[in-house]
This record gives sequence, structure tokens and C-alpha cells, in this order.
Amino acid sequence: MSSTAPALLEVQDLVMHFPVRGGVFNRVISRVHALNGVSLSVRKGETLGVVGESGCGKSTLGKCLIRLLSPTSGSIRYGDEELVGLSHGDLMAHRKRMQMIFQDPYSSLNPRMTVREALREVAAFHSVETPNGMGAYIENLISKVGLRPEAADKFPHEFSGGQRQRIGIARALACNPEFIVADEPVSALDVSIQAQVLNLLMDLKDEFGLTLVFVSHDLKVIEHFCDRVLVMYLGSVVEELDCENLHADAQHPYTKALLGANPINDPDDRRPLTVLQGDVPSPFELPTGCAFAGRCPVAEDRCHQDRPRLERKTCGHQVSCWAVD
Amino acid sequence: MSEQQVSGIQKFMQGRGIRKLRRDRMAVVALWVIGGYLLIALSVAFGILSKEDVFDRVGPDNVVGFWGSQDGERRLDQAQFRIERIERAAKGSNPEAALANFRIGGVSAAPGTPDEVLARVASAWESFDAVAAHEELDDSPAVPPLFSELEQRVDRLFESPTGFEGFIQTMRMSLGTDRQGRSILFRALYSTKVAVQIGMVAALISVLIGTLLGAAAGYFGGWVDHLVVWLYSTFSSIPWIVLLMVLASMFRGGSMDGTLIPVYAAFCMSFWISPCRVVRGEVMKLKELEYVQAASAIGFGRTRILIKHVIPNTAHLMFINFSLLFIGAIKAEVILSFLGLGVKNEPSWGVMINQAKAEVLNGFFWQIGAATAFMVVLVLAFNVLSDALQDAFDPKHV
Ligand SMILES: Nc1ncnc2c1ncn2[C@@H]1O[C@H](COP(=O)(O)OP(=O)(O)OP(=O)(O)O)[C@@H](O)[C@H]1O
Ligand code: SF4
Ligand SMILES: [Mg+2]
Repeated sequence: MSSTAPALLEVQDLVMHFPVRGGVFNRVISRVHALNGVSLSVRKGETLGVVGESGCGKSTLGKCLIRLLSPTSGSIRYGDEELVGLSHGDLMAHRKRMQMIFQDPYSSLNPRMTVREALREVAAFHSVETPNGMGAYIENLISKVGLRPEAADKFPHEFSGGQRQRIGIARALACNPEFIVADEPVSALDVSIQAQVLNLLMDLKDEFGLTLVFVSHDLKVIEHFCDRVLVMYLGSVVEELDCENLHADAQHPYTKALLGANPINDPDDRRPLTVLQGDVPSPFELPTGCAFAGRCPVAEDRCHQDRPRLERKTCGHQVSCWAVD
Repeated sequence: MSEQQVSGIQKFMQGRGIRKLRRDRMAVVALWVIGGYLLIALSVAFGILSKEDVFDRVGPDNVVGFWGSQDGERRLDQAQFRIERIERAAKGSNPEAALANFRIGGVSAAPGTPDEVLARVASAWESFDAVAAHEELDDSPAVPPLFSELEQRVDRLFESPTGFEGFIQTMRMSLGTDRQGRSILFRALYSTKVAVQIGMVAALISVLIGTLLGAAAGYFGGWVDHLVVWLYSTFSSIPWIVLLMVLASMFRGGSMDGTLIPVYAAFCMSFWISPCRVVRGEVMKLKELEYVQAASAIGFGRTRILIKHVIPNTAHLMFINFSLLFIGAIKAEVILSFLGLGVKNEPSWGVMINQAKAEVLNGFFWQIGAATAFMVVLVLAFNVLSDALQDAFDPKHV
């Protein structure tokens, strides 16, 4: 992907804190720091990977990008419009352009709607097709995601997980969007069908000319399918780099740890995802120094006192670590 | 109905829930039983039984049903009742007309001139006196032949209907008569309509109100939730029987006095709470599901999502609550009517049980038995159905 393509999405300092309420008067007793100043840009037509352990804020980031969540602060520029602060009504014009593929195929489809109803609802709402052409439009969509035409009038429970995820993809495509956030689209699926669904997604990306943000906790998958990757840790981006030379370029200790756990030349290796010791710090109270310090093999004194900032190393490569220069 | 609606119903009938329900044998039996009751209720509503059928005297007091036996005292009373009725007609100012129009239930007077009838009456009295002369009606061996002689002579006074009318008469007397000589079976059947009517109306309205309020509270949260929770906490702290007493006295003397409206009002005011609670909890879970988020990502408004994506997925709760509240309403009706607060101007199972209080002391159990049996079978069927619905329609039991 050419790095000269114009940016479709430009995110600055995105912060998302979830208030936690409790006590007798239902006051805010603390906050979950899910995103702590994330900046990124997505170029038109590229596939940007987002990787990180469970709970590091990947889904939260994805949901903020398509404004399913209202960020606490920061800016999301889509084209030349600012999305943060838009009301439900003002967002309507953007809904058609950006969609999401969800993680859990078992809860992401309404159990009481047939495939046809679910797709028609989307297409009709955004008037992407006239009522007359609707039947053909839906059948075309269903065949595009690799399902048989009979699938149209079935209910979600009649499908397997992989097929459900295909329906989820069809639903995201039904309003003909240009930007899609795929939130761990295959992590709930059987390993044997993960590749099929991923390949389908990439084929459709080319066919529909989509821009994709692809969330995963599996760096191997990201390396294979994405142009660039953001490595997240506890609500912050710790490294951003091109996927082409991931192993050679990776510099952040956390990225290296993730790579170490994913030996690319041995596909049968099913070791646990991380070989890291220790726990992620609590998202309620951010540590003063580097969030990774407690688990970092090369941590210095400075790491515990001062928080490193994301710094540009080369074109398209940013790292936030004191040990990298 | 539009084509879309028809296909919706078809889909529902072929859906997983219905298929599961069909496989559950107990549930199928329960459905047939409930269907039978509904049929009775509908037939009554469409006039197969009139108010005369349930309020008119059809025979002597407390006749037992067909497979029961009664003591000599009561047999003698009933013979006396029958003879006196005919005698009164034959001795009136216009005996021909009185005899021609004579009816007790479906039974008419045997043909003959008034004089012939009076002769037969006299012979019946003779036989009656022969029986009555005995002190010990039940133990003396001389009595049974005299009784059959008496009852033959009494039977000769009457003409029982034949054919369809005969069948109706058999049915009419099959469970005996109450303290005022009214048909117990017909009253119990008529009460079925009252019970189904109360169950339907109270359960339907309560489920609708409860679902709407519960769904709104669970989905919108905030002050809507606070308000609804406050409402049901308040209402659930008032026992419905107190509520009903208050309402009954409020409606007294007004145009609604004697109708079922106070009963409906009291039931709905207390019954909406349980569907409201469960639907609220379910909606709080549902709204976090990814298909609801997907619907927001598409751009649907909150109300549309609530109506199209959230509430339909609480349908199983609506079915189950309807079924449970139906039972609740029927049982509550019985209790209220027993206390004299419920159904008025109509028979109902509760009214019947209330009236049976005095009969039970005399050892007559047909009325209380009939009312209880009718109620128990229906309630049992609905209990079985509720469990089956729970199993079949809960989307979590795939
Ligand atoms: N609605 C919410 N209210 C409160 N806290 C939330 C909410 N959504 C997410 N969080 C918290 O925000 C943090 C980030 O969550 P997020 O779902 O984005 O993680 P994730 O990287 O997607 O993890 P996973 O790989 O498990 O999906 C977590 O600590 C989570 O508990
Ligand atoms: S800043 Fe320090 S603790 Fe953090 S990753 Fe770099 S070396 Fe490790
Ligand atoms: Mg997630």
C-alpha cells in the first residue's frame, strides 16, 4: 500500500474513560482508563492492524472510531469532518460509511430475524437499494459472502459460527460502507475455519474498495493480512510499524514479546500467546512510569518514574520506550 | 392481513420454539386441555348456555350426580318436591294450560286431562305416605321396595325428553343440582367462560403494561428506570386483596358496580409487576449484546432498536408470564368471589365454592367438587404449559 494515499481517518489524543458507579447515591467512584491518548491515522484503502492483550482497549478504540462510543476527549477526523461531539442525528450521514464486524458471532445477530430481514433492514434504512431491486441485492450479497441462496430465509441459530460470521460481514457490507472496523472477527471461530473467513474478508476488502481496521490479539494473523500495525498496551499505543518487516523492525520489548510467542516458521506451535510474566497494571489507576515496566525484561530505573512518549523513529515507525533510541 | 404478516405467522409456527413444544408430550396434552376450555368458554360466550340455563331451577335441591347415591331422607324430599309441582299445576285456575307448559329443566308433565293427572298424583301421595310412615328410612329392610314403588309412580307423572333434548337433560343433571335446584354442570361450564375471560384480560393487560414499562426502564435507564422501579416497589407493597377492597368500595353504586371491571383493575394493578421485573432484567442484559450495538452502528434510533431488536427477544418471557398470570388471575378470582368481593350476577368457580359452604356441612360435595375439579384441571394444564414454554422459547436453550 502506498504511504502517499490520503488519510481517511485521523485520530488525535483519543481518551476514553468509563465511569464506574456505586455506593448508595450511585456516584462515580472510579474510572476505567480504557484509552489514554491514542493517535493514529488510517489511509484510504489500507488495512491497519491493532494488536494487544485482552483488556488493552482494542474494542473500545474500534467502537470509538465508528462512534458507537462517545470518547471522553480527543478528536476523530473522518475526511474533513470532526466526529467527536456529533449528536445521534448528525452522525446519521456517517453511519452509512462506516460499519463494524463484531467479535462474537453468537450474540452479534438478532436471533429473531432471518438473514434476509437483517440485511433488508440495513439496506432499506440507508436507501442503498430500491424496494424492487432489494431481493436481488440481498441474494447477491449473500452469495458474495459465500453462503447459499437458501440461507436468506433462515434464522441465525440454523448456522454454524463461521457461517454466522459471514452473515455478520454481509450485514456490515449491506449499506455499502467505505470503512470497516473488524473487531477480532475470527477469534471466536474454530481454527480450521478462521483462514476461510479471513480470506473472504480480504477478498471483499479488495472488491468493495474498503479501508479496514483489523483488531486481533494474534500478531501472526495481523502480519499476514495488514499493511501496518498498532501495538497497544493498557490503553496506549506503544509501537506503530509496517508489517512488511515486522520481525526485523520491531523494537518495543512488548512487541518483541508478542512476536516471540508467535514463531512464524512453525505453524503447529500452539504455545500460549504471551510468554510474559506478571500482570497488566490496573486500568483504574495508571502507573506513573511506563505501564509495561513491571513486566519488561529491560526496564531501567527511569522507566518506573517517567512515562515514555511515542516517538517517530523512521517514516511509519513510532515507538514509546526509553530503551529504544 | 398482509402477505408479510402471514409469512411471519408461518415462520413462527415452523419456528424452533413451536417445534420443541410439539415434541413435549405433556405440553401437547396441556394444550389440548386448554383448547377444550377455550372452546367451552367461546361456546358460552356465543350463547350456547343462557343465563336461564344457569339460574333456573331444573330439579329438586341438591340432587346428586348420576353415579352418586343419596340417603332416604333426601330421596323422600325430592319425591315430595316433584309431586307437589305437578299437583300445583293441576290444581291451578287453568290446569290444561299449566300442565301443557309445565317444565322442570327439560322434563314436562305426562299427557292426560287434569283429572287423570290428579288421580296419578293421589296414588303417588299414597305411596309417599307409605314410605314416610317408616321411622328408619335407611336401615329398615321394608323400605327399598316401597321406595321403588314411589319413584315409579312419581316417574309416571312426568315425561322425559328424548333425542337431543334427552341428551341435554342428561347433561344438565349429570353433576346434580345445587341448593337452589340449579344445574351444577351448567354453572361450572358457564364459570369457565368467566374464568377464561378474567384470565385473558388480566394477564394480557398486565403482560403488556409490564413488558413496556420493564423494557423502557431496562433500556433507557436513568430517571425512567428510577421511576419504574419506584412504581413497582410501591405497588408490590400493597397486597392486591386490599387494593381490590378499596377499588370495590370505590366502584360501589357506580355504573361499574357488579361488572368485572373492579376485578380487572385490581388484578392488573398488582399483576404487571412480575413481568415488569423480569423484562427489565432481561433487557438490561440484551442491550449489551452485540446485535444491539450493531443496530446502533447502522444508525437506528433508540426507540426503533427497543421495539424491533430488544422487545421481540423478550417474547419468551411474555409467553411464560402470560401463562403464569392467567393461572394467578383464575386463582385470585376464586378467592375473591369466595369472599364475596369478586364476580357478581354470574356464576363463577369462586361463587360456586362460596355457595357450597353450607352444602358441605350437610355432606353434599357435588358443587364444591365440580368447581374445584374444573379449576384444578385448567390450572394444572397451564402450569405444565408454562414450564414447557420456558423450555421451548428461551433463546438461551438452543
Ligand atoms: N462499557 C464499559 N464500561 C466500563 N468499562 C468498560 C466498558 N467497556 C470496556 N470497559 C473496560 O475497558 C477496558 C478495555 O476494554 P476492551 O473491551 O476495549 O478491551 P479489548 O482489548 O477489546 O479486550 P478483548 O481482547 O478481551 O476484547 C477493559 O478494562 C474493560 O473492562
Ligand atoms: S520504557 Fe522501559 S519499561 Fe517501558 S518498555 Fe521501554 S524499557 Fe521496558
Ligand atoms: Mg474486544
